[in-house]
Amino acid sequence: MILDTNTILYIVEIVIGGLLVGVGVHFVPVGGAPAAMAQATGVGTGTVQLAAGSGLTGLLSAGLMMAVTDNILLIVLSGAVGAMIMIDATMIVGNWVYIYGVGVPPVSAKVDYDPITKEPQPPYISNGTVGHGIPTVSFVSGTIGGFLGGAGGSLIYYALMSINHDPGLSGMFAIGIFVVNAVLASYNIQGTIEGFHDPKFKRVPKAFQACLIASLVVGIIAVLITGGA
Amino acid sequence: MDMVSMGLLAAMGALATVAGASEDIESDVGSQSNPNSQVQLAAQVGHTHRIYNKAISGEPPSNALYAAIAAVTASVLMSGYDMSAFFAIAIGALVATLFNGIYSVTAYLGRNTSQARFDQYVYLDILRTHTPTIMAHAYITAFCVVSISYIMTASWLPIQHPFPMPLVAFIWGLAIGAIGSSTGDVHYGAEREFQSYAFGAGLNAANSGDVVTKAEAGIRNSIDNAWFCAKFGGPATGMAFGLTVFLDNWRATIFDPATQGVLVILTGFVIVVLFNIYNRILETRARKRYGPYPEYAGDIKA
Repeated sequence: MILDTNTILYIVEIVIGGLLVGVGVHFVPVGGAPAAMAQATGVGTGTVQLAAGSGLTGLLSAGLMMAVTDNILLIVLSGAVGAMIMIDATMIVGNWVYIYGVGVPPVSAKVDYDPITKEPQPPYISNGTVGHGIPTVSFVSGTIGGFLGGAGGSLIYYALMSINHDPGLSGMFAIGIFVVNAVLASYNIQGTIEGFHDPKFKRVPKAFQACLIASLVVGIIAVLITGGA
Repeated sequence: MDMVSMGLLAAMGALATVAGASEDIESDVGSQSNPNSQVQLAAQVGHTHRIYNKAISGEPPSNALYAAIAAVTASVLMSGYDMSAFFAIAIGALVATLFNGIYSVTAYLGRNTSQARFDQYVYLDILRTHTPTIMAHAYITAFCVVSISYIMTASWLPIQHPFPMPLVAFIWGLAIGAIGSSTGDVHYGAEREFQSYAFGAGLNAANSGDVVTKAEAGIRNSIDNAWFCAKFGGPATGMAFGLTVFLDNWRATIFDPATQGVLVILTGFVIVVLFNIYNRILETRARKRYGPYPEYAGDIKA
């Protein structure tokens, strides 16, 4: 096995991509099962589910872009934008359902005042719940999460494509590495998080360390299996 | 941008909207995903029910599986047997539907028999009437998702995505599950399951498991739930998936990614900014219309 400069560069790209995914998941506002009953702030689904849904939609955009250009910036940004569009459309329609279908205003239960709009939160929380819907701060946080997740997935795909030039193989491995990092971050979050204003967000350094190690191991294996070195 | 590409894009948007709606209703009839936690809890807190209880997995993995099965089958039929795309996708979706049916039946039987100690029965008439309804919706979802994937990858069509069709279908299946789980399910979980409580509040944690078991006439079943959710939750989910598929591909259709890559990305950023502004408008209007909760007794003023 020869670890030349290019191979090391690909592994580094995969590790950076994995870290972007791991950190990005912490920005995505997910309330899990309680949010589906308007019992908790955030999108009513699981962390990995939403992060993977948006990040991999970004992967489709990145794949389309990489078919016509080698510019890493365009490919990564294209993936990031694709993921942001998916997560934003989901959060908007999610808020429609909360507001018009359930009749609750979007509100955060983790802060007294929305850090972006400065509006008060507690008076709008219904009894026996810890918030509901996707307030502005969570929406912005989710958009950032989509950006990081989409960019991370696309960077992993770019690295793998540079090695083997096979979109199918690279796509599958990118999905795998994406999910490894998303699941690790999800354990760190323990179910629900409202976004970057949530106290749980302070746990990011732990996820950073875990994703660094996991991405390095998985990155080396992926590079070797898909034709590197 | 040419007329054919725009037409195909419109078709993809329409197929995605139908797929989103049917995916959500499929999960509502089966009571899959997050609201299932309440159905599962209901019997344990003394509310036996005739709601279909299938928790195969989260919606994204299960829909990714169905879409991938349908796409692989269609792909094999097209490349190995020269079958036309329409029939190949139709048969592929049928195979995926059979898998859905098997998982649905085993999930329902497994879940309900394990709750025998709480007097929760296995209703054979529910199994007989609901399973085909679930499978029918799964068929529509799989057919539409694979059709979108085919449009994106077929060699004689203009889009030419580099991923193989099953991988594209897998990713769209995952995305449609994530969207259905995030949007339409809230209408089922937060509103339909708890209609006995006043409109305009989230579920009080103290009322968990107290799902409505009586219908407008007789005992409520999951087809009653689908009837309700098809009025808002289902179409809303369709709108979310339709928007995702349409907007994501629209920017790559009006501009050529090969020569106008920067414009493709900038258009995406503009869409994202508009979404953020619209969400702020939604939030402001909702707060103004509903006002603070009267029972709130804290110090912070609304």
